[in-house]
Amino acid sequence: MPTNPSMAAAIVGAAESNKIGYIEEGATNMTLFIEAIKNVCDQVGIKPSDIEGIAAPGYANALAEYLHIRPKWIDTTSVGGCSFQMQVHHAMAAINAGILDIAVVAHGESGYSARKNNGKGRGPRPAADPWAPAAMFEGPYGLSGPPSNYSHAFTRHMHRYGSSQEDFAQIAVTTRDWATLNPRAVMHSKETHPAGGPITVEDVMNSRIISWPLKLLDCCLVTDHGGAVIVASAERARSFKTKPVWIAGAAEAISHTSMIEMDDYTRTSAWQSAETAYTMAGMGPGEMELAMIYDSFTLTAGITAEMLRLTPLGEGPSLWADGKAGPGGSGIPVNTNGGGLSFSHSGMYGMMLLIEAYRQLSGTAEDGVHGLPGKQTSAKTAIVNGTGGVLSVTGTLVLVADD
Amino acid sequence: MADYNKPIPDPDPYTTGPFWEGAKAGKLVLPRCTDCNRTHFYPRNICPFCYSMNIEWYEASGEGWIQTFAVQHRAMGGWADETPFVTAFIDLKEGDRMFTVLRGVDGNKPEDIKCGTPVKVEFEKVNDDVSIPFWRVV
Repeated sequence: MPTNPSMAAAIVGAAESNKIGYIEEGATNMTLFIEAIKNVCDQVGIKPSDIEGIAAPGYANALAEYLHIRPKWIDTTSVGGCSFQMQVHHAMAAINAGILDIAVVAHGESGYSARKNNGKGRGPRPAADPWAPAAMFEGPYGLSGPPSNYSHAFTRHMHRYGSSQEDFAQIAVTTRDWATLNPRAVMHSKETHPAGGPITVEDVMNSRIISWPLKLLDCCLVTDHGGAVIVASAERARSFKTKPVWIAGAAEAISHTSMIEMDDYTRTSAWQSAETAYTMAGMGPGEMELAMIYDSFTLTAGITAEMLRLTPLGEGPSLWADGKAGPGGSGIPVNTNGGGLSFSHSGMYGMMLLIEAYRQLSGTAEDGVHGLPGKQTSAKTAIVNGTGGVLSVTGTLVLVADD
Repeated sequence: MADYNKPIPDPDPYTTGPFWEGAKAGKLVLPRCTDCNRTHFYPRNICPFCYSMNIEWYEASGEGWIQTFAVQHRAMGGWADETPFVTAFIDLKEGDRMFTVLRGVDGNKPEDIKCGTPVKVEFEKVNDDVSIPFWRVV
């Protein structure tokens, strides 16, 4: 008999690599992965050899070998930034099925250092297949990476709903306000980055156009980052040095791979994954006290807020209006780490969403990393949504604090 | 043609051959399911709507509308010389969608470009084997 896996597993620890952001001395994917896994094991009070299952996008096998561990559950799902939300979903299901008790979900990505390393140390990059549909039917037309794709969805949202570039710019402004409270954030202050510190809607509007209507300050950073979380069974969840944060709901969904196949440019599959996750949790959007929403671009966060039912359709940016989602705001706090826009974003940002959600719900945000504290909120519940590809794939989790 | 300096597709002959043969002749040739009669794009060896594997090719009208667009201010290779240029997803009159670089528009005036505007296809011969479809605001 299938059972509802809600609360069958918890996240019991969440840690980062020793350094994140623009790492001066450089990094590789593997150094970042290993630092994060070592740190999370120390935090939780286990050895890597205690890990029974390992999940990492494209790297689970390489990590098992590197660490001399012999896991009985391996998940190398690699569908972009939401891979980690999906791997937590998979780990929870496997734990609920009795296959294992302790899994690590890990991330290491030298998005920044890969440039100085001439692309080396960034793992196996699949060669582009000229016969792939996107290569034949999008490839001839001058797209250059995620912003050049996502901008088309921004235009359609403005056309359909009458939203404005200024509405979305506010998302960048409010997210930066959170970054100013997180000393680990790349854009925390003028001390951490020449362009750091608070910004205004005018700053966003006046920043360089990348792919209209996306401006530079609508776009995430490209950094180095490593992170890892430990997922444990309900039976084991209270046996570690750390506090559990319970997985109440989890789901994933896909709508397309390339944007030529995106039916509706104003909707993502988060509509479906959120519904499934809320249903599993027996909770609704009105009960969420924190939202960690993938912000590769202001556009991504804005339309995802709609998909998560945090605003009516077409009104996603209203979640941030007047700084409501910011520090001391009147709405629910959103992206309290400073987001992919202003904290750190190595390419696949989903792990950073998980880590911040764990810190907030375990009450450890102010414990800090390397002596640098974050800003603690009073949230006891969180919706965490990752988006991968070009608005292609989503993973949604509903997390709940212990007790 | 000899100096075409932008990416040239390397067509998959198994599932897309008639499309590219049509393009060489200046025709928009699309795949259609003979069971449910729906056109799909990109071309496949199965109808993604009813899963029939009975696919035929036909010459389409070459008409469509702008679903949505963006203006690329940053690009690589030969396209870097053409910024800002406008890219768009085109809803085909016969159904489903194609992507293109839009012609007949000014990338410096995105506010003058509207979703829903009618467009027509044209083909640019880039070498002896390949012609690439582009869409133009009419």
